[in-house]
Amino acid sequence: MTVFTLKQVGWRPRVPPVRAETATPDQIAALDACPPAQRRSTYFLTLANDPGSLGERGALFTTVMYAEGGLDRAERELATTIVSMVNGCEFCTSVHARRFVELTGEEAAMQRILDHGWAEEPDPRRAAICRFAEALTRDPSAVTAADLAPLRAVGLTDLELLDLIHGIATFANANRLMLSLGDALLP
Amino acid sequence: MADDLIELLLGIAPDDRLGALRRQRPEALRHAEGAFRELLLPADPGRLSLAERAAVALRIASAERCAPLAVAFRALLDRAGAGELCARAEAAEVPGDDRLAALLRYADKAGLRPREVSQADTDALAALGLGPREIVALTQLVAFVPCQVRVIAGLRAMQQEQAQQ
Repeated sequence: MTVFTLKQVGWRPRVPPVRAETATPDQIAALDACPPAQRRSTYFLTLANDPGSLGERGALFTTVMYAEGGLDRAERELATTIVSMVNGCEFCTSVHARRFVELTGEEAAMQRILDHGWAEEPDPRRAAICRFAEALTRDPSAVTAADLAPLRAVGLTDLELLDLIHGIATFANANRLMLSLGDALLP
Repeated sequence: MADDLIELLLGIAPDDRLGALRRQRPEALRHAEGAFRELLLPADPGRLSLAERAAVALRIASAERCAPLAVAFRALLDRAGAGELCARAEAAEVPGDDRLAALLRYADKAGLRPREVSQADTDALAALGLGPREIVALTQLVAFVPCQVRVIAGLRAMQQEQAQQ
């Protein structure tokens, strides 16, 4: 049973995380490439076991979620919440659903998505973003230009679309890491 | 940046419409290439060989039906001197019971059904001699290929869209 909630969800790693006080210079540098608010989290300290990949992948995550311009920040959080729900990642869903609420103040809108999904999403732009996030997550080999038409119809520019693709792709990565390397601890 | 893997695979030129668009996100380009290098061609691969890394990546690209990426990973396996492993890496059911078979089976779970991974799977990797670094690197690799697959699928749809205009 998968539980999607706005409450804090914990995470317990299956391999020992690096300890901040004994981290090597390579590990510290890799952690510093990750988003500032999260770089001492258990998750990033676990990934720091392989500093080479964390440094690049952490920097990739940071630019995909926070780069200036392009897709609205809240819409990036919305798309990554949907991807996390499709993949069944309770931890990532709770984190990014909360960020969406922090950015928009629309707790009821997000709670509705967590409880009932996005098939009935009333906002047309959000509905188009959610459907594309689901399609590209479930079967990338089946995605064609026809899947982009609803996004263009609600006004997405080239840069917004590229940011959306990057966000969805990045959470194919993040959800698999979170689910494979640890257990979600539900409230 | 003419040697960007995704652009090579999709035939995107740095100065065409999609190439120029991608250069509005230079950090995403740079670090996607960097992650590829660190996961598939690291200077120090530790106890997870370059051939094993390429085999695992090929298995995921193939399972996700991303033909251009599968071509790239077959070439990497060849380059690691282990081209004969391609068939095993792409077999529907992983044959055998050796170390490579165990790595490929972990790739299937973590890459395709990650909710099914358990502590027992992690412990089985440790029993093969993988330390925390290699377990994290293997999981990063298995999780990174699906990310590349979706970037490629999204960009390919944008190419189709432009061809229709």
